[in-house]
Amino acid sequence: MNLKLCLLTPNRIIWDSEVKEIILSTNSGQIGILPNHAPIATAVDIGLLRIRLDDRWLAVALMGGFARIGNNEITILGNDAEMGTDIDPQEAQRALEIAEANLSKAEGKRQAIEANLALRRARTQVEAINVISQ
Amino acid sequence: MSSSNLTMWVSSTKPDLDPLSSRASISSPLRNPSFSTHHHRSSLAVRCGLRELRERISSVTNTQKITEAMKLVAAAKVRRAQEAVVSGRPFSETLVEVLYNINEQLMTEDVDVPLTAVRPVKKIALVVITGDRGLCGGFNNQILKKAEARMADLKSLGVDYTIISVGRKGNSYFARRPYIPVDRFLEGGNLPTTKEAQAIADDVFSLFVSEEVDKVELMYTKFVSLVKSDPVIHTLLPLSPKGEICDINGNCVDAAEDELFRLTTKEGKLTVERETVRTPTPSFSPILQFEQDPVQILDALLPLYLNSQILRALQESLASELAARMSAMSNATDNANELKKTLSMAYNRQRQAKITGEILEIVAGADALI
Repeated sequence: MNLKLCLLTPNRIIWDSEVKEIILSTNSGQIGILPNHAPIATAVDIGLLRIRLDDRWLAVALMGGFARIGNNEITILGNDAEMGTDIDPQEAQRALEIAEANLSKAEGKRQAIEANLALRRARTQVEAINVISQ
Repeated sequence: MSSSNLTMWVSSTKPDLDPLSSRASISSPLRNPSFSTHHHRSSLAVRCGLRELRERISSVTNTQKITEAMKLVAAAKVRRAQEAVVSGRPFSETLVEVLYNINEQLMTEDVDVPLTAVRPVKKIALVVITGDRGLCGGFNNQILKKAEARMADLKSLGVDYTIISVGRKGNSYFARRPYIPVDRFLEGGNLPTTKEAQAIADDVFSLFVSEEVDKVELMYTKFVSLVKSDPVIHTLLPLSPKGEICDINGNCVDAAEDELFRLTTKEGKLTVERETVRTPTPSFSPILQFEQDPVQILDALLPLYLNSQILRALQESLASELAARMSAMSNATDNANELKKTLSMAYNRQRQAKITGEILEIVAGADALI
C-alpha cells in the first residue's frame, strides 16, 4: 500500500503522486511517515522534507507550514518549497553567507528574529542540495 | 469639454506633436463617456493649413498605434493574471478545507490565538492596494476615493487610523498628502507572488500582534468582469477562528464559496465566464491526533491563511487594473480612429478646394491670353 503525497504552496503544486516514505521536520522534531500511519495534524517547521521513491531519496527545502496525515494521504501546505534539484548551489551558498552576516550585525529583537528566520531558510536550502550530492 | 479639446488640437501651433502630448489630449474624451461621436463630428471645425493637417493625421495615427498596442499587452497580461489565480487555487481550497476540519475539532477546546483576538477598536490599519501605473481609466481613482470615504467615516466615528499603501500610484497619492498617517509604503510588483503577500502580511501581523492597531482592513478592487470591477473593503484581522473573512457589514466572504472567472472568446470577442465553485468539505478522519498543541497548529495555519487572502487580493486587483487599462485603451483607439477620419476628411476637402482653385486660375489665365 502506497502513500499519496500532496505538497502545495500558494504558487503551485510541488508534488502530487505516490511515495514510499517521507521524513518530515515538524515543530516537535523529525517524524518518519510510512503507510498506514495514524491520522495526525502537525505544524511543519522550516526544514528538510525527505521523500523516498522505491530506493531513491529526494530532498525538498520546505519553508514551514502545516501537514495533515490520514487514510494514507499526506497533505502538506507550505509557505514555500523548492526541490533540492532546482536550487542553484552557488546562490544558496551566497544567501547563507549573507544571512549569517546579517544575523551577526542585527540590532534589536525584531531584526534578530527576522535574521534568524532568513538564516534557517538559507541553511535548509544548502542542506537540500547536500543531500542530493551525497 | 469637446470644444476645449478641439481648440487644443487646432490651436496647437507646434508642428511636431510628440506622441505623449497627443496621447494626453486623446485620453481626455474617454473620461467623459457621454461624449458622442455625432457631437464630435459636428463641432469639428478644422481651421488650419494643409501641412498642419497632414502632420496631425500622422500624429493621431501614431497615437492610435500606441494605444492599440497597449490594449493588446493588457489583454495578454489579463490572461497571465488569470493563470496565477488558477494555479493558486488548489492551495487555497485545501487550506479552507483543512481549517474547517481543524476548527470542528477545536470547537470543544478553549483556544486563544493572537490573530483572532477581538479587542475594542481604537485604531485601524487600512491596507490600500492600487496599481503601479496610470492610463487605466478610473481604476486608481476609484479605490483612492473609497479609501478617502472610509477615512472620513472613521474620523467621524472618532477612530484613529493608519495607512499601509501598496502600489506606486497610491504611494505618490499619500506622499502628496502629509496629513494622512501612513505606516508603510510598499511596491506592488508586476505579477504578485507570495513574497509580496508575505511582506504585507509581516507588516500587518506585527502591527496587530503588538496591539498598535486593533483591526486591519484590506481595500482592493474586486474583479467582476472585464468591464466592471468594484472597490471593496474586507476585514483582514482579527480572523475569526473558523477562518472566515468578513467585510465591514459582517457578511462572510469566504474562499469556500469562490468565484472562478475565466476569459474566453465568444464570437470573436473576449468575454468573461464566471462560475461559482463550492469547495466540498469532506469529512476527514474523525480521530485526528494533534502532534502539537492545538494553539501551535492554528499558529501555523492562520498566517498561511492570512497570506493567501492577501495574495488573492493582490491578484484580483491586478486583474482589475489590466481589465480597466484594456477598456480605456480600446476607447482611446476608437477615439483616435474617429479623429483620424474627420481630419482626413477635412484634409481631402481642403486639398480638393485648392486643386479646383488652381485649375480655375489656369483656365482664367489661358482665357485672358486669347
